[in-house]
Amino acid sequence: MGIDLNLVGAKGAIAEEAEGKWGMVIDQDLCTGCQACVAACAMENNLSFVGEEDAGYGRTQHWIRIERFWEGAYPEVKATAFQPMLCQQCGHAPCEPVCPVFATPHSPAQEINLQVYNRCVGTRYCANNCPYQVRSFNWRDYHLEPFHANNVDGQLVYPLHNQFNPDVTVRRRGVMEKCTFCIQRIHQAEDKAKSEGREVHDGEFTTACAQACPANAITFGRMDDHESLVSQLAHQDRGIKHLEELNTLPRITYLKEG
Amino acid sequence: MSENISRRDFLKLATVGAATTAVLTGCGPASRYIKREPYMEMPEYTYNGLSTYYATTCRECAAGCGLIVRTMQGRAIKVEGNSNNPVNLGKTCARGQATLHGLYNPDRVQGPLKRTRGTPFDLRTNVSVTWDEAVQVVADAINNNNPSEVAFLLGMAPDHLFDLVSDLANAIGAPAPIRYGALSMFEARATLIKASENLFGTAALPFFDIANSDLVLSFGANFLETWLSPVAYTRGFAKMRRGNPKRRGHFIQFESRISQTAAKADEWIPIRPGTESLVAAAIGRLVAEAKGGAVSEVFANVDLNEVLSSADIKLETLEHVAEMVGEAESAIVIPGGSALGLSNGLQTAETILTLNALADNFGKPGGVYLSPFLPNQDTYHRPASAQEMAEFIEKMKSGDVKVLFVHGVNPLFELPESLGFADALGSVQEVISFAVFPDETALASDYIFPDHHGLESWGYQRVATGTEQSVLSGAQPVVSPNYDTRATADVLLAASQALPFKDEMEFLQSKFASLVGQADDSFSAPEINTFTAYFQQHGGWWKKSSELVSPSATDTLGRNFAVEQAEFAGEGEFFFLPFVSPTLGEAGANKPWLQELPDPTTTVMWNTWVEMNPETAHELHIENDDVVKIISEAGEVEAPVYLYPAIRPDTIAMPFGQGHTAYGRYAAGRGANPAKLLGQHFNEAGDLAFAGMRVRIEKIEGKKQMLSRLESRIGVYNEGLEEH
Amino acid sequence: MIRNFFEWVMGPMGRIAVLITALSLFSLTAFGIYQTQQPPDQPIEFTHKLHVGLGIQCLYCHPGALRGPSPGLPTQTKCWGCHQQMEKTFDPNFPELSEKLVGYIERNEPIPWVPVAQVPDFVHFTHRPHIAAGLNCENCHGDMTQVEIAENPQVLNMGWCLNCHRERAANDPEKLVKLTDCGTCHY
Repeated sequence: MGIDLNLVGAKGAIAEEAEGKWGMVIDQDLCTGCQACVAACAMENNLSFVGEEDAGYGRTQHWIRIERFWEGAYPEVKATAFQPMLCQQCGHAPCEPVCPVFATPHSPAQEINLQVYNRCVGTRYCANNCPYQVRSFNWRDYHLEPFHANNVDGQLVYPLHNQFNPDVTVRRRGVMEKCTFCIQRIHQAEDKAKSEGREVHDGEFTTACAQACPANAITFGRMDDHESLVSQLAHQDRGIKHLEELNTLPRITYLKEG
Repeated sequence: MSENISRRDFLKLATVGAATTAVLTGCGPASRYIKREPYMEMPEYTYNGLSTYYATTCRECAAGCGLIVRTMQGRAIKVEGNSNNPVNLGKTCARGQATLHGLYNPDRVQGPLKRTRGTPFDLRTNVSVTWDEAVQVVADAINNNNPSEVAFLLGMAPDHLFDLVSDLANAIGAPAPIRYGALSMFEARATLIKASENLFGTAALPFFDIANSDLVLSFGANFLETWLSPVAYTRGFAKMRRGNPKRRGHFIQFESRISQTAAKADEWIPIRPGTESLVAAAIGRLVAEAKGGAVSEVFANVDLNEVLSSADIKLETLEHVAEMVGEAESAIVIPGGSALGLSNGLQTAETILTLNALADNFGKPGGVYLSPFLPNQDTYHRPASAQEMAEFIEKMKSGDVKVLFVHGVNPLFELPESLGFADALGSVQEVISFAVFPDETALASDYIFPDHHGLESWGYQRVATGTEQSVLSGAQPVVSPNYDTRATADVLLAASQALPFKDEMEFLQSKFASLVGQADDSFSAPEINTFTAYFQQHGGWWKKSSELVSPSATDTLGRNFAVEQAEFAGEGEFFFLPFVSPTLGEAGANKPWLQELPDPTTTVMWNTWVEMNPETAHELHIENDDVVKIISEAGEVEAPVYLYPAIRPDTIAMPFGQGHTAYGRYAAGRGANPAKLLGQHFNEAGDLAFAGMRVRIEKIEGKKQMLSRLESRIGVYNEGLEEH
Repeated sequence: MIRNFFEWVMGPMGRIAVLITALSLFSLTAFGIYQTQQPPDQPIEFTHKLHVGLGIQCLYCHPGALRGPSPGLPTQTKCWGCHQQMEKTFDPNFPELSEKLVGYIERNEPIPWVPVAQVPDFVHFTHRPHIAAGLNCENCHGDMTQVEIAENPQVLNMGWCLNCHRERAANDPEKLVKLTDCGTCHY
């Protein structure tokens, strides 16, 4: 960010930069809670499944999860709108300053929060400090557990590994991970546009979750381009940002029901 | 290794050996480098390090969504939706995404096997046979038996294999193949189609245009989960909500629990199970009375006070709904599976369609249409109803089926146990399974001749409903087969000379022939080979403009029939509501990432639960995670309780999808199968009255099973359970 | 117990034992370090010097470098395209060709090459922009006309990457931000 918060008028400067480069809009009126985004994210980003026991301990590796809350009691009970929760790519991220090894820096180029796996030593301070609780830790080498392997002539063969996306690092035990806004797709699109000597078009690519969403509830794109679909959607009256009062400057706008 | 070394010693030795080797070579080139094997001959459209994309069709359910699969160096990496396919327009559901975990599942059948029925699945102990022997076995089975004693049991999808087997059965004089799937049972498709036949004279699946309606009343239709074509209906829902900037469609769900679909409703009205037809008729009566003029007899005969007490609904609620229907521009009423899977299901379906007639929406935007006939078809072939399956099982028991071929369906899991499929298999001399995975039925077979996985095979699939136009969704291999599998179509064509085709592709082209050069196609091809190439490139063939049929309803409102409450089977204090797991579907349990997806409403992962109202549970001294035994007239199952605030106190619900005894390491021995509780009761259309069971429950003292859920860790750490 | 051990160590046998241990540890370390400097064994002793010397362009065999992340290894059909026309291929005096290459072709087996220029899994290197920025292959991979069996001229570590990135973007602050962003390579 490069803004000294002690300066007079710093908040105004933050508001200027608050939109950031990439942004997302999630329409809660449309989200049906179907989990397609969760599955798509898992397949795109090589997320490990952790099994029943570890899942019970809250160790699941969901970079995006769908929250559901109840309101009232039977018969006046109501399920509040499904709320997909993922890394908000805060402009002013609480996870960043607490990392002792700078493994979760802010990307000056893409203006998102990064997680550098090779630098992470697994203190889990960042997860502790994340108000959205969207970071997940690799408690084991889940994908290397022999349970998933077949024994072929004495060698362990993992057929599921064939599905891994080569553009995304397969994380090992002891590192933190979180949503990257599908940065591999950002790079791919930017590289392609550059090779053709143009800018990236709005809607040319999107994140795995937005691509899968059957209700089209998720939109991704450039927030700094006021013509883009995502920034037009974000500036509706229905738009809210989560835990805005913490001054985290989240990049994701939620559109309320109704 | 000599026999004297025990396993433990061997492990020790191996560890020491491995450690030594690691130390000595730890710095050597072997550990720092990996091997890379280039293509022998690279396909010309492939570039090193760049992805290749193939269009194909999703085979996880019968909806027929188009997929674009991203592959890299011969591996399938990611499933994306085909944005041209009219069914899903580029979108996918969770099951579609996880289809890769089926393709690369560690528990696939890796080659043709001869086996002893009922033995555990193990590639090393089962006897491998060659494909030549396999073809001979199939040929003998077809040729050495009386054709009337050969039976084919296929999955729900109306695909090319169904066409091929139909043609084959026709050619050799065998009975037509039977299609079945648990989804069709839980959707009560036969009832829906029968009602359509009774009202409109056409046995077709109705198409509900919710996208253009401004008021949706749904009686238990789970159209955002698994119902008919969930991705297409979800798109319709999104359009209904936000498609028109001037109005936001209103959605009311009548169901005894808040399902994932009901959670999206603006109003959830928990009526007592079995009273759906009464409530629909009562709404009809109120709407008609408000409109003035004659009230049709079906509605007029309903006693409002009786409805109020039996359905457990307030008069104000009914009047409010009726008022909304009266004011709506295009109201639509949808009958779902749990409303039709009852003793009076057909009646309910007809009442609900009549209510649509009252809303005057037949053949109008936002109303009811009939799905177009499928390409190359002039009648609608629906999957078998449970009653037809019961008849087939009787035939098996009587010994009239000597050879049974099973493909794409797992009846031992998907059929209620009370129908007796397991026993009936004993009377069949030879069972030949073409299963991709070692499921329960494959393990009860004499042979498994595995088909390719859906992403490794050619084919097409007709799209039964969900689109405006008739669609033939195309399938092609996106990767070469991983194992020694063979296309079932090829096996059948090689085994029987009854059909004049040399292989699957020749058969496919014969079916394409009539589509070449039709007007208004999605692409135009002058001749068959170009057509085939375009068909693969586009991921199928479809018409460009809408072909929805307006129902020819002459005097729908003049029809009269009795509207009564459903009858429930068995004894017990609870209504029992089984529903298809929104994330697993009927066959997703072997895909680990689907297991790890939280159920949308309970957030439970990896297991089966019983939903119970907290008040009821409190009276019975039952807490979260207490294991209970549920007993119906047909059987009993055990499962842990989930205190669900959004279910009627007199109802308990259980998801269908788990409870496998086989089907690979991720599915076997996990959860419970509610189909065990379903008795042999059918409605007039032959569908199983699956929602018409009464059950009682017994708490198993001292037995708890912690459910893994995303929403809260309290249950797992066993803290705070006392005060809640 | 411990005391006895120290007494033994101070004795003559003990001293010899300590010496032997120290010597073997030292030689193991030396051997280990030596090993890290060795190029890996290749399935065929393919000589880059000869092929590049003949004037074959790098991109003829590694065309992926122009388009995407990975330059790729030539398919066997590409090797065979030239070699099947050459007498030398079948000459028993050249066992690398007449036995090994012909063997792989006849068995229809892929050649398990061992790539020498590698970055770890958590680094996502893409060739295309580097070629587009005007770098030549030899800038990173060294002069292949001088190398018999492929080996790596430099340690491909992050400092080496960043040095070049900083140098090249020194005059363009925006480019510098992009080229030194963690997220450019690590994700």
